[in-house]
Amino acid sequence: MNILELRNIGKQFPGSTDWAVKDFNLTIEKGEITALLGESGCGKTTVLRMIAGFETPTSGCIYLNGECVSDDKTFIEPQHRQVGIVFQDYALFPHKTVWENIIFGLFRLSAEEVKQKAVKIIRICGLEGLEKRYPHQLSGGQKQRVALARAMAPEPRIILFDEPFSNIDSKMKTQMREDIRQIIHKTQATAVFVTHDTKDVMAIADKVSVMKQGIALQIGKPEDIYKYPVNAYVADFFGKTNLMMARVSEKGFITPMGLIEVDNIEAEPNKMVTVSIRPEQLKVLPEGKGHMVGKIIKERFFGEYKELTCIVEDHDNKKTEIIIYASPGYQCKSNKCYFEPNNNSLNILND
Amino acid sequence: MTQKKFLSNISSLKNKLLLTNPWISSTLIIASLISLPLIIIFLNIANDGGDTWQHIVKNLLPTYVTNTIILMLGVALLTFIFGVSTAWITSVYDFPGRKFFSWALILPIALPAYISGFTWAGILDYASPVYIFFRTYLGVETGQFLFFNILSLPGAIIILSLAFYPYVFLITRAWFTRQSSSVLEAAASLGRQPGSVFFKVALPLARPAIVAGISLALMEVLNDYGVARYYGVDTFTTGVFTAWFSFSNPASALKLSAYLMVFVLILIATERFQRRKLRFDITGSSYRPLARKRLNKKQTLIATLICAIPFLLGFLFPALMLLYWSYFTFSIVVDARFWELLGNSFLLAFLASVAVVILAMIIAYTTRSFPEKTVRFMAKVATLGYALPGAVVAIGILISFLWLESFLASAFNTAFRIAITGTWFALIYAYVVRFMAVGYNSIESGMQRISKSVDEASLSLGASRMKTLLKINTPLLSGSLISAALLVFIDVLKELPLTLILRPFNFDTLAIRAFEFASDERVAEAAPSSLIIVLVGLVPVLLLNKIMGTTEKQN
Repeated sequence: MNILELRNIGKQFPGSTDWAVKDFNLTIEKGEITALLGESGCGKTTVLRMIAGFETPTSGCIYLNGECVSDDKTFIEPQHRQVGIVFQDYALFPHKTVWENIIFGLFRLSAEEVKQKAVKIIRICGLEGLEKRYPHQLSGGQKQRVALARAMAPEPRIILFDEPFSNIDSKMKTQMREDIRQIIHKTQATAVFVTHDTKDVMAIADKVSVMKQGIALQIGKPEDIYKYPVNAYVADFFGKTNLMMARVSEKGFITPMGLIEVDNIEAEPNKMVTVSIRPEQLKVLPEGKGHMVGKIIKERFFGEYKELTCIVEDHDNKKTEIIIYASPGYQCKSNKCYFEPNNNSLNILND
Repeated sequence: MTQKKFLSNISSLKNKLLLTNPWISSTLIIASLISLPLIIIFLNIANDGGDTWQHIVKNLLPTYVTNTIILMLGVALLTFIFGVSTAWITSVYDFPGRKFFSWALILPIALPAYISGFTWAGILDYASPVYIFFRTYLGVETGQFLFFNILSLPGAIIILSLAFYPYVFLITRAWFTRQSSSVLEAAASLGRQPGSVFFKVALPLARPAIVAGISLALMEVLNDYGVARYYGVDTFTTGVFTAWFSFSNPASALKLSAYLMVFVLILIATERFQRRKLRFDITGSSYRPLARKRLNKKQTLIATLICAIPFLLGFLFPALMLLYWSYFTFSIVVDARFWELLGNSFLLAFLASVAVVILAMIIAYTTRSFPEKTVRFMAKVATLGYALPGAVVAIGILISFLWLESFLASAFNTAFRIAITGTWFALIYAYVVRFMAVGYNSIESGMQRISKSVDEASLSLGASRMKTLLKINTPLLSGSLISAALLVFIDVLKELPLTLILRPFNFDTLAIRAFEFASDERVAEAAPSSLIIVLVGLVPVLLLNKIMGTTEKQN
């Protein structure tokens, strides 16, 4: 069943003629972790706040558990939505202890149930022993887990995260992502989070909506979007890629690197199209092998791989810069790099 | 296009269910009740004032106009001189007395103008210990008053300026200390002398701040009744009293109140116009606080002298005089009736401050939760009272209550009379109108320091807005709430014109008692009541000093 459904959501802030969010659609099933990805100002946080009920959509409908919570006539206030939210600044109540923060949303239950639920969520979130502390006595990671525990304690229908990892240093991030993913799965919760970091998406999202200027460009599994981005913006946003123009031929695509053979060509012959090839889809070969060659102009060592920036020339001597990932131990004898693309590694973009 | 825009606005209002929202409708009710006195006054401006009004227009109005204008011009000039010179000296120079004067110069705020007024008249009076000293030891003899007749228009200008220059000092000083040093250093590096830097760069830059300070001072001048009456200067405010009490002509009192409002509106407009220029004056990210220049001995002497004059005349001398008188009259004045008076004043001030704080909380929380244009406008209306002279508020409320009473009397039967006028309710209502801005500003700035997501976290956990306000905002705001209540408490305690008009029969407050003693030529007996008002008034000034001290350390 769909836990959440957004139908043609639009938001226009007073005094602005632009749409902060336009015709936005999203359906989320129970247990899914969904990411809203985009640069700052793309409208992703506005979508999140509309789900929570802190912003009123200018148009469109929002359904929670099949029940309409916002359309032209209805507007359910945030306190009646049963939507949990973990804020970017955590928004812990500074005058309440960890325990008091966590039980704040449990006021409808009996004292016995409150205790039971709070103890359980404290254990799940690994906060044992911190119950009596005040927010200012906690580390950043602990604060976030308290915020998470507080949001999850009343067992909301859906839990929202606003930039959950942006305030955490990069060393802690990996651990935090794993923790949050586990907690969400352990409690069989449904979650939506907003981020500008593709790594967050790859690490924990089941589904992602890539946004730009208030519009959803592509929705799907992170892996699919990585492999088959619809346009240059998505391709570029989702990690490094080589974008180039190519001519459609009978066997495949004629790119500045040379001919790349493709099994099913879904394009008219002789048409010029934009294609994207991920750097790791280009395989470095021993010297002299393969039919593609580039002149190395830059090498960068990244630990698990080496990034090569090469110049390739087509028949008209037109130069194009491409990026290839080589093994970390790659040593170049001349300044030439021989390579070939993996099968079916090329992706046609819409524009 | 505009048509479409308009429609979309309506639908967004419908979405928010504007009027069925209890917060917004409460704010609307509060704002309407607060603006009621003002609306009543303007609705009745065209009423016929009869012969009395003819008499006032012909014989008194010209005096009111000239006196009020001269008073305002004089106070503007003197507060400018006192306020700006001391603000400049204490913010750009370093000398032994700087820290002391930075807060000592604010102290006159704790001394209400009318108290300072009759105290100074007493100090310079023929029978005062000061005059006796001058007469016996120095042989100075200058008639009824020492040096000059202080009970005059120039005397009133000096007294009001000494009482209100701290507004100019505070705002201008905050402005100077916030200025980045680079602008002034640039002027100096271009070869300008310090005096030239001040007049050509610092002063023009600070103009919006100075104008803001002076307009606050002038609003207080328009509000003043005590000094003008005691010094025999007929102004619009005293005119309202004359029309009401002496001529018993409400229509004339209303008309004079309306005229008084014209002065207020001109002041507000001037201040707003100047403030628009403030925007491009704010320094950017390259902020560097002023490095204070050390003064040599001779310069220190001059700086100390300039700062000492307003402090000594505006606070220390009158305060010492009050202490001296209190010492002698304490045993006569402080009797059972005095304690009753004290209790009355404190209870009244307490009730008013609780009312203001509760209503201000509702308005502040509504604007925070629903920051719509209409809601913010309501908040603006609700805080307009600070600009209304007390006499205007009182007349507006009195007239509306008299109507309400006669309406109720005729609607039910004459035996069933509810007397609202002349009750504590009318007084507290008036205080809420007049001092809402004081409480609201304090609470609002406190709320801005709480992250909005804290409220949202509470709502998302299922707590109602009321519960959020009580359980989350209120504990976090406790400091601001206390300071709001304290500021209103003090304002009510020293309030004079409004209380004089609206007080219940035979009901006195400390302020009224002090003023009545002084008016009966029993200045010394007015001292104990005055002293209590001054002492309570000192509390926020000392707190302010502490706050200023900590921010200075942080810088």
